[in-house]
Amino acid sequence: MSGNPVFRIVCILVLTTVLSGREALADRLDVIQKRGTLIVGVKSDYPPFGMLDADGRLTGFEADLAAALANRLGFDLRLIAVTSTNRLQKLEEGAVDVVIATLGDTPQRRQIATLIEPSYYASGAAVVAPPQARLSSWADLRGKKVCATQGAYFNRPMTERFLLDLQIFNGTRDTRLALRDGRCVAWLYDDTGIVGLLSDPEWASYQAPLPSMMVSPWAIAIAASERGLRLERAVSDIVADWHRSGWLIATERHWGIKPSQFLADMHELWSRARPDGTPVCVRLADGGWPAECRNKLLLTSTDVGGLHRVGLLVRERIGLDLTILYDAYDRNLFLSGIGMTLRLMAGSIIGSLLLGCLGALVAESGGPWLGGLVRLTAALGRMTPPLLLIYLVFFGLGHIVVSRFGWTFDGSVIAILCLSVYTGCAIVFALLEACAILKDRESGFSLGWRTLPRALRLASAAVVASLVNAVKATGMASAIAVPELISASTAIIAEQGNAAVMMNVLLIVYFLLVMGVVQLFGYFERRLFPHDVL
Amino acid sequence: MTSSEIAGILLTWTPFLAGGFVWNILISLVAMAIGTALGAVLARLRLSRRRSFVHASLAATELTRNVPTFVFLFYLAFLVPAEFEIAGRIHAFPAWLKAALALSVAVIGFVSDNLFVAWRHWRNHEHVAALLFVPSWTMYLVIIVMASSTASVIGVSEIVSRCNVVIAAVGGDETMLWVYAYAIGYFLLFCFPVNWAMGRVKNHLRARVGTRAKCQDGERGADLETDRRDPP
Repeated sequence: MSGNPVFRIVCILVLTTVLSGREALADRLDVIQKRGTLIVGVKSDYPPFGMLDADGRLTGFEADLAAALANRLGFDLRLIAVTSTNRLQKLEEGAVDVVIATLGDTPQRRQIATLIEPSYYASGAAVVAPPQARLSSWADLRGKKVCATQGAYFNRPMTERFLLDLQIFNGTRDTRLALRDGRCVAWLYDDTGIVGLLSDPEWASYQAPLPSMMVSPWAIAIAASERGLRLERAVSDIVADWHRSGWLIATERHWGIKPSQFLADMHELWSRARPDGTPVCVRLADGGWPAECRNKLLLTSTDVGGLHRVGLLVRERIGLDLTILYDAYDRNLFLSGIGMTLRLMAGSIIGSLLLGCLGALVAESGGPWLGGLVRLTAALGRMTPPLLLIYLVFFGLGHIVVSRFGWTFDGSVIAILCLSVYTGCAIVFALLEACAILKDRESGFSLGWRTLPRALRLASAAVVASLVNAVKATGMASAIAVPELISASTAIIAEQGNAAVMMNVLLIVYFLLVMGVVQLFGYFERRLFPHDVL
Repeated sequence: MTSSEIAGILLTWTPFLAGGFVWNILISLVAMAIGTALGAVLARLRLSRRRSFVHASLAATELTRNVPTFVFLFYLAFLVPAEFEIAGRIHAFPAWLKAALALSVAVIGFVSDNLFVAWRHWRNHEHVAALLFVPSWTMYLVIIVMASSTASVIGVSEIVSRCNVVIAAVGGDETMLWVYAYAIGYFLLFCFPVNWAMGRVKNHLRARVGTRAKCQDGERGADLETDRRDPP
């Protein structure tokens, strides 16, 4: 083939045509300038982002953005309706200069178009639920039947991250009916689609109680050939200004869209300044934005340096996504989770010992009535599942206390209290049994502050076993959203989708913590009771 | 809300909640079955003449003691797929089975320790002492039944999950307290008689063995996770 002269000539001809063609076509901004009109593709079927008004004119959030863009560039505006299937094709053909049409920014799309950073909006997965549903966090949906529509990009990852029992329907109409008939507790759907749905009077009483997850940023797109040219830079600067000034938030409000966390975060980021007063997000020497101002999910190891680069390299090469090492936010979340778990462990140990010793003292010396009462309470406490006790106190009693007296309790305090009660009751019994043996041996024995150490020493194995159980059960605090290790791990999985990594890290860390506590008890037992127990 | 209204609500939902409690018992029995089978293997290995078997068994027992079942529950829920394919057929791996597996880890350690002691007694023809394993095992089932309430956090439709369903359906802030208290009643109603009866059996057996049991023996297996002393 390489010897074929005709083929060679054809190749050279094709190449020169392509190259000279590129050369001859000035950048798009020149074309627009000559024309005097900016042609923008927007959607017509996605209210309130892109829709038709009563006169059949294109209007909506994205049409407003197009108008502002044309205004800033100093051109007239012409809007053209595009759809999800033809928007990038029209861009490539040159039928439109710019596309602002609910286009999610993905690495694949970056191959076929130039996507402007920063993104101007973002959509994610959220749920619509009937008015009576009590949903305060995504964890409330664990194991629950949730309706979803076939083909949404987030169906599978959301199922894996939140352990949903997903019921998939063919179209949005079927899903709507299923939710209305109570065949599921909520409907997993695009948050931007939910905005349109809830504006329907029939759905007005429904709610979207949970924050959006798996947020995918929307980008303004221009032709692939414009990468690095003047139009990209101009549009990018304008979008950055929109974020700095808060204009996007105002426009969102104007269209009655529920305020998105994304816009609030971007406004904060783009108006953030360093201690010396210079803005954080300014163009670097190479013309790009700093890594911290870019979309984290789309960064590759070539875009960043330091620990972040190492982490991304590990992810690209081996597939292990250790965000708790390279991502400062995840790292802090996890470390504070460890801190909270350690506090829960220490609190439960101290609380259990206190309650156990006090209970045993009162049971022995409190007379028949008080002593009997303590024994009965301890017997009941031992037979109450600690998780149910936590729910009872946190939700049941907690609510009554809040509504009557206005006091609120910290979840971690309640978890420590409940675990201490459960373990304390077991310790009461262990001490009482030790007492019975001591009484057998010495006729004059009675339990008091002075003889307590002897009873503790005799019961030490059982007491330590109970305390270790309390330590292992501290994870139950996650059921009432205490930000301990399990909560931190599931929160990271929810954001990053790295369940395998995080669950293994969690299990290993917990295992080491429990082992450390056991070693500590062994050390104290040897120090306090140097001789054999019996 | 008046007390008769609350009683009415609880009565209406009783079949639903009782059905949930049946799941708690079922999960616990499956956990005991899996844990006893595997724990028996470990106990048998500990009686082996080969030192390497004994060491391996002790290490495995130690491992099951240090894994918190609550964390392991999440581990299985996130990492074991809900469905898997064998020879072209889709099999479900339901959440309740994951809960049973997580709980069985604690059972393995318990059975490994207690059956080891019982087995040795049996070999020495101390049959009554060996039988003490039966009431201990049953009392441990009670502990597992209590621990099975944690299955609610991965969405198993047992009694605690169903409490939350009832609360969501009925609404009202005071109902929460009563529904949870009612559920606790189920656990008390199950656990008290079993524990009491097994305590009687234990005392009876001990009296026949003729030795006053040591304090620690009474506590053996009295908690979710196993006693961590090496057996005498």
